[in-house]
Amino acid sequence: MQIKINNKIYEANEGETILAICKRNEIRIPTLCVHPDLLPSEGICRMCLVETNMSKCLVPACVQKICGGLEVFTETEKVNKARKINLELLWMDHAGKCASCRRNGRCELQNLAEEYDIDEFKFVPRRKELKSEDELDLLKDNWSHVVLDEKNSSIARDSQYCIECRRCVKICRDMQTIEAYGMNYRSSKTNIGTPYEIPLDCIFCGQCSVVCPTAAITEKEDIEKFEKALADPKKMVIVQTAPSVRFTFSEEFGMPAGTFWEGKLVAALKVLGCDKVFDTVLGADLTIIEEAHELIYRVKHKGTLPMFTSCCPSWILYVEKYYPEFIPNLSSCKSPQQMLAPLIKTYYAEREKINPENIVSVSVMPCTSKKYEAERKEMNASGYRDVDVVLTVCELARLLRKRRIDPAKLKEKKFDPALGISTGAGMLFAQSGGVMEAALRTAVEKITGEELGKVEFEMVRGESGARCAEIEIDDLKLRVAVVHEIHNARDLLESMKKGESNYHFIEVMACPNGCIGGGGQPVPTGPAVRKARIAGVLSRDKGMPIRKSHENPVLKKIYKEFLGHPGSEKAEELLHSEAGQTAVGGG
Amino acid sequence: MQIITKNWDKINPLDISSYIRQRGYEALQKVIRGWTLEQVVAEIKKSGLRGRGGAGFPTGEKWELAAKTKADQKYFICNFDESEPGVYKDRTIAEKNPHQILEGLLIGAYAIGAKRAFICINGHYEKSAEILKIALEQAREKEFSGKGILGSAIDIEVKIFEGAGAYICGEETALLNTIEGKRGEPRLKPPYPPVSGLFGKPTVVNNAETLSNIPYIIKRGAKTFSQIGSSISPGTKLFVLEGAVKNKGIFEAPLGISVQELIFNSIYGGGLTSGKEFWFAQIGGASGRLMPKNKLDQPLIYGNCEYPLSCGSILVVDKSVDIKEMLFSWASFFHRESCGKCVPCREGTYRLWEIAKRLKNNDSKGCDQKNIEDILWTLSNTSFCPFGNFAAIAWGDAIKMFRKEIFN
Repeated sequence: MQIKINNKIYEANEGETILAICKRNEIRIPTLCVHPDLLPSEGICRMCLVETNMSKCLVPACVQKICGGLEVFTETEKVNKARKINLELLWMDHAGKCASCRRNGRCELQNLAEEYDIDEFKFVPRRKELKSEDELDLLKDNWSHVVLDEKNSSIARDSQYCIECRRCVKICRDMQTIEAYGMNYRSSKTNIGTPYEIPLDCIFCGQCSVVCPTAAITEKEDIEKFEKALADPKKMVIVQTAPSVRFTFSEEFGMPAGTFWEGKLVAALKVLGCDKVFDTVLGADLTIIEEAHELIYRVKHKGTLPMFTSCCPSWILYVEKYYPEFIPNLSSCKSPQQMLAPLIKTYYAEREKINPENIVSVSVMPCTSKKYEAERKEMNASGYRDVDVVLTVCELARLLRKRRIDPAKLKEKKFDPALGISTGAGMLFAQSGGVMEAALRTAVEKITGEELGKVEFEMVRGESGARCAEIEIDDLKLRVAVVHEIHNARDLLESMKKGESNYHFIEVMACPNGCIGGGGQPVPTGPAVRKARIAGVLSRDKGMPIRKSHENPVLKKIYKEFLGHPGSEKAEELLHSEAGQTAVGGG
Repeated sequence: MQIITKNWDKINPLDISSYIRQRGYEALQKVIRGWTLEQVVAEIKKSGLRGRGGAGFPTGEKWELAAKTKADQKYFICNFDESEPGVYKDRTIAEKNPHQILEGLLIGAYAIGAKRAFICINGHYEKSAEILKIALEQAREKEFSGKGILGSAIDIEVKIFEGAGAYICGEETALLNTIEGKRGEPRLKPPYPPVSGLFGKPTVVNNAETLSNIPYIIKRGAKTFSQIGSSISPGTKLFVLEGAVKNKGIFEAPLGISVQELIFNSIYGGGLTSGKEFWFAQIGGASGRLMPKNKLDQPLIYGNCEYPLSCGSILVVDKSVDIKEMLFSWASFFHRESCGKCVPCREGTYRLWEIAKRLKNNDSKGCDQKNIEDILWTLSNTSFCPFGNFAAIAWGDAIKMFRKEIFN
């Protein structure tokens, strides 16, 4: 089928929306409620209105399906008038404190305001911050409910930035099936919030902050804590950076998605004044060795199967809160962040003769949930809080911009070797299927005792939400599954409940495509962006000299000098924990 | 000509037998004992009956669409969520003759093949709800509803659903959302309810007054009905006269009648309250247009016309009224009742209310005139549902007609 847009003919498929065709052909239509990760919009922001030859009214391009003979006009006077007036109205519903805003320069509303020359406040902004009880009187005439929620350790909400686009409501409901958010009140008092305005109580995956067009939902900022540690001469600041961060950090500085910036990342952290920069990939390798050991043990000794991966704190929390009957299925291994951190405060501190009390352990993560994980009660295996500060990619980039540090101009640096040698397997943790593939590389060699001819397990790669494979290892047929996004995990758990699935090992990541789609990653995101990030990860793995976790020389040394063997008493103490020990939601 | 009000005050609303004595439930018996579903739909279609809730959509077409859509379950809903300011016709029907609504509902449910029917009542209408509950209980006892109606194999389970009284929940898709337990917000159309409505099943939503016409049409035939009133929109209509008029209240009159006659004829309004001078009339509640004196001869019909009849209320405004007070009252109403879904309505009604407050206090700003025009434009051109448009109608007329009075 063909349709005309702005007097030019375009190819179109039946059932497509005007917006989809325009997007494909690079015709600019502004939107605020549409997001590539969400189900089709309902047309509530009214930014995408266009004129057609079929209707006297303006129609929302995001919902209007095309039909034969349709002619669309996207830039008429009427269209622009509609966009401008509605933007003006939205702008005044918004806090408008751009210079101090966490999303400054990355805010979709700000960008649109720039595009449509919205610079004056025609009305009094109706959202005001309430600083004290005395100000209640001031607000009486211009009342609007402002909700500030920073009671959890991961996500901060400030409703004065909210433009009620409902992306967060939809992603939480449709992708993660948590339904933490909904609409409260009505008319101009409509507020996106939790039921009865209780503090946010969810799995802290942070997808809501990723899709938020403004700064209404962001990660809970820990920059201040980090800066304080940097400024303290008595403290030794040791940073670890997650596998995925090196593939996404570059986007914050204008590079195309998937650009590998490991050296720049380390260099930037050093410029900031971090004493040591270690690699969480090493923690990932450690996780694999312990997890493969645990899996083999469970399979051989008829332990609880299937075994679930336990790298994703949102996933663990999900099981604890919604499917506690599956807690025994979770691997007892801690996540890479929580494996590397106690080693820093024990093994490394002992070796370097540093008082662990003076170490501030910082991790740069793709994830909001890691903030929550670091605060879980049991995460003090070293005798201290294992991780003191967790920063997301966005936070780190924000701090660098604030300090006028441009990583692009820095000379690349290497991780500090003590805990900074990594493998391709650990690198794969950045994306969904990676933990599985890395574990298989190790488990197969451990079981068969032979070297793998081909290290790639392509059957567990891919972008589909739920993938499964059967791998023959000697006489064992290992059935594995990989899922990401909680709604897929929920389907899997439900089918397990009915006895319809019989896997040995299941990898679950709460975020789309795993950590490279995490809640702390740069915006904007979407399937295309994440695809590019995955490509970056896979090509990096291919180019790595060591591609199997158990061949990591540093780890071999650590086992020899410190831990003993996988599953040893020391390893159990530092690297394993029992999910469900902590009070649900605690931390 | 009386169709709806015929038995008012003749029957006891709490006693079904008094309704039956007035040949009540005859139409239902006629239909159940001898008519096919298609026959009923065809008869209603032929009658030319249009919805009395406001939009004036042909009732028969709605039924036909739902009847033709194949589904394992269908629903029939009586929209009793009357919440237009100054309108109380549905409430009065329920309080005077609840069984007439019920009979129409049951015939409708039969015609589209629905086994479940709902009466959705505005949450503020406690008395109506009580009366309807009693009526429903009695109808069930007499086997007019429930399992095996009148000894046939037809089951129609009627339930009363009490809403929370929001204005927007009178909009049919918002109403469906409330029954489903969701937030009362309009849905995206299409799909329209007769194709995919309550719980995704074909659903007809008819106004209570519309349904009250059904027994008459079945008993007397579509032809008789279609000869009453105007040819485009036949039948009678309940008009609510309010404001500076001598006789206030509900009057039944054939459609096509002029506002002039309704206000000044002694059997209806009987002219203006003494000492008052006519200024304008607002037709159809807070969302209605303002009719100046020289347009009073316009016929009130459903269909394409300059002054939509909507739900049928006529507010007579005299010259002693301060237009700024009226602007403020409209703006307050729409600001309060907007559901908050789309930007123009959520933000626009708020800003309009803000300006109205300033106008009322005589401290309007220079930019207000331009801002009002922008907001009214965006409300009527870019809103998600008709509510935004409604919010701009009266304001738009007022600004056009009384610019001088408003901005001094």
